[in-house]
Amino acid sequence: MKLTELFRQKKSVITSEVGPVKGCVRLNGGPPPEFLQEALNIKDYVDAVNITDNQSAVMRLGPLAGSVLLKQYGMDPIFQMTCRDRNRLALQSDLLSACSLGIDNVLCLTGDHIKFGDHKAAKQVFDIDSVQLLHIARGLNEGHDMSGNQLTKATNLALGAAATPSFKPLDLHLLKMEKKVKAGAEFFQTQPVYDPRHYEEFARKTEGFGVPVMFGLVVIKSPQMGRFINDNVAGIDVPESLIQEMASVPKEQYKAKATEICIRLLKDIAPMCQGIHFMPFGWSDIIPTVLAEIKPYFPK
Amino acid sequence: MIGTTKKPMTEILQALEGHDKVALVGCDGCAKVCLTGGTDEVAALSKDLEAQGKQVILEVTPERTCNVAKADPVLKPVQDKLQEADAVLVLGCGGAVQITRHLTEVYGLTIPVKTGLDSVGHMDTLVPGTLALEQCQECGQCILNETGGICPVTKCAKGLLEGPCGGAQDGKCEADLSRDCAWILIYNRMQALGELDKLKRYMGPKDYSKAARPRTLYIKEGRVT
Repeated sequence: MKLTELFRQKKSVITSEVGPVKGCVRLNGGPPPEFLQEALNIKDYVDAVNITDNQSAVMRLGPLAGSVLLKQYGMDPIFQMTCRDRNRLALQSDLLSACSLGIDNVLCLTGDHIKFGDHKAAKQVFDIDSVQLLHIARGLNEGHDMSGNQLTKATNLALGAAATPSFKPLDLHLLKMEKKVKAGAEFFQTQPVYDPRHYEEFARKTEGFGVPVMFGLVVIKSPQMGRFINDNVAGIDVPESLIQEMASVPKEQYKAKATEICIRLLKDIAPMCQGIHFMPFGWSDIIPTVLAEIKPYFPK
Repeated sequence: MIGTTKKPMTEILQALEGHDKVALVGCDGCAKVCLTGGTDEVAALSKDLEAQGKQVILEVTPERTCNVAKADPVLKPVQDKLQEADAVLVLGCGGAVQITRHLTEVYGLTIPVKTGLDSVGHMDTLVPGTLALEQCQECGQCILNETGGICPVTKCAKGLLEGPCGGAQDGKCEADLSRDCAWILIYNRMQALGELDKLKRYMGPKDYSKAARPRTLYIKEGRVT
């Protein structure tokens, strides 16, 4: 189902993210690969599951195959699409393929820089960027490609975009978000922030856009992970106080502490957004507990 | 200018393997500015090659080796020396190497023309003798009028046209934290100029047909194909 339908019904939408494996997937009756199992853990708790696209520029199974696999297991995928690895022909072609394979949602992203990945000598494409991809995808929904050629059948995809509430200067980022809305974005999924006051400012400044915003939450699984993100992941700032809070408990209690932090943060932020997008990095099993606690805090 | 760096001696010697008599052609244009191929660098490399057992039979340094109008008057009078050489080693950009190769062909010489440098881009000198920056990649579709005189095609690590990615940290580029985010520079400049509204405009995808290589410039007509 298109997420836009759920937003129209004024539902607080819940999504989570999984990253495909680095390898081929042929089940042949064998156990599901890790990312599929992670999605299956939360199948009954989320509305859709994002499938990342060579996340952090690390080569893996493609998000189209991953999305189809999720569909086969009865889940709604959000097909993430970056502009780093494909030119405008390949991107449009994959959007047609995605819709033809029954995918309803696509998240249009620029993509991480190639230097973060495992193929650092690769040529980055960036033929177009996220705003232009949204514009082009809207065109496909309207029945034409970006050169104006008619399609035999238009796509019917809900178009999502990313936002970074911690970006400074925020006004420059808002300017880009506005361009995304004008280009065709129908919902946003954000990068995380861990200070509700910070998110409040962002929510206030984006409510006029008229597009639902889902708060994105990366589950910090250990103090080391918090530090790793600060040192290596662009656009996410994990406060030292949160890292210290994780470090204050023994390792075997990390999951319980992470769950407690998620609940605390989401109780403050859930009333200010139209949905939650979890990035649990293998800990999707905490999502049911978190959701049970925060449900009363969603906007009515 | 075209920025250049010196190839390691091992790579130069590999290129010159089997070629004992060497003619050195430098460039007193860009390569001189980069301290890689001017008259002084040609003389220095000549000594180094001699020390490696090569016989350097010619050292010349046209003012702009990439320009036949400058290279031909220097190379034409020394055709005999070029003919005598087993190889020509050019200390200039890739253009200088190919113009030299072209001229040897014009002179009726079939002689290997090698390069001693790597070309690293269209560079603008910021601190003479010290620092040059890549600021333009000759895309054939200049948008500097729209971006406060700062080129995102070149200075943004992803060449983004519609605004910054989400990765900047403290104003720095996610791909290189020693470098300013081009889009934050553009934003600050446009704000100072009172032209922020211009940044709201949808730029649209670039027309890469204008940068399809190799391009030919017909100077009199001002036409590129």
